[in-house]
Amino acid sequence: MARTSDGIEVEGTVIECLRNATFKVELQNGHKVLAHISGKIRKNYIKILPYDRVLVELSPYDLTRGRILYRYRT
Amino acid sequence: MNSVHSTSGMGEHAVEITRVADTQWHAVEDDRVVGRGYASRRPDGRNFLSIDAWHDAVFDQLADVMLRDLPKPLYAVIDEADRDLTSNWERAGFTTRRREWEYLVPTDPRVTGLGSVLPPSGVSIVAVGEAAEGPLRKLDREIRDEVEATVGWQEMPAEVLTRPNGDTLLDPSKYAVAAQSGKYVGLVRVAPVIRQPRIGLIAVRSDQHRRGIARALLAHVLGSLHRCGIETASAEVNESNGAAMALFEGVGARRASSNLELVLR
Repeated sequence: MARTSDGIEVEGTVIECLRNATFKVELQNGHKVLAHISGKIRKNYIKILPYDRVLVELSPYDLTRGRILYRYRT
Repeated sequence: MNSVHSTSGMGEHAVEITRVADTQWHAVEDDRVVGRGYASRRPDGRNFLSIDAWHDAVFDQLADVMLRDLPKPLYAVIDEADRDLTSNWERAGFTTRRREWEYLVPTDPRVTGLGSVLPPSGVSIVAVGEAAEGPLRKLDREIRDEVEATVGWQEMPAEVLTRPNGDTLLDPSKYAVAAQSGKYVGLVRVAPVIRQPRIGLIAVRSDQHRRGIARALLAHVLGSLHRCGIETASAEVNESNGAAMALFEGVGARRASSNLELVLR
C-alpha cells in the first residue's frame, strides 16, 4: 500500500518570495515558515506569487521549514 | 507495484526506498515518508523526474534507485536559484541541457514604448478571443511544422508541446492573431493566470519575419492588459532564442528567474 503522506500538511499564504527559490509562508496559525516548492510544481511550471494560498508540508526535522505541495486557485 | 528496492543505513538516515507505483518512489525512515520521487512522461515522450527529500542523503538514495529503474535519457527541471537542488541533480550525473529565462514584462506603454506601435502596412490585429478557429488552427500547425523543420519543439518551453492526440491549440479564446489579406500570419497566446498573465507563445510565419508583426502583437496584448489594470505579465524564453529575448528586452522586460532543463543520457 502506498503511503500518501506522513508529514504535517497545513494551509498558508505566501507573503514573500526570497532568494534561493524559497518562499516565506504564513500559516493559518500565524507561524511563518520558509518553504521550497515541490518538484511536481516545478515540473508543471506552476508559478508561486505573493498572496497565493498554498498547501505546505512541514519538515518532520524542522517545523520552520516546509515544502509547497499545492497552490489553490483563488 | 510495491517493491522494496533498497534498505540502507547511513548513520542517522536509515532509509528504505520503495517503488510504490510505476512512476512513484517513497523513502521511508522510521515508518515515516521522508522523501518522494516521481517520474512523468511529457507529451513528446521524454521522462521527467522530480525528487523531494528533506536531506541530501535521502535525495541521493532515491535518485540512485530511480536511475536504476528507468531507461535513459532522463530529464529534470529546476529553478537555477535553488543551488542545493542543482547540486543534488549534478551529483546524480545530470548536466544542463538548456536554460529558460522567465521575464517580467511591463504592460504600461510609457515603459514599453509600444504605445505608438502599429502593425506593418496591410496587416491588422485580431483581438484576443475574436480569431476564427479554423484559420487559427491552420496557422498554429504551419508554425509548428516550421519549428519542427529547424530547432524542434524540444528546444521550446514545455507548455507549448503538442498533446498526445496531436492537438496543439487547446483554447482558441486565448489567442490574438495578425491577419494579412484575409490570412493569419502571426499569433500570440495569453494565459489569464491570476494576477500575472503569461504570454505563452508568440510566433510569426517564417516568410513574414522581420516586419514588426511580433512587436505589433505584443503591443496589442500588453496594451489590453494595461487597460485592464494589470501591470506585468510573464513570459518564458529559451536562452538560445535570441530574437525572442531581443523582443522582450526591447520593451523593458527584465529577467526574474531561470529554469534549467537537466539531462542524464
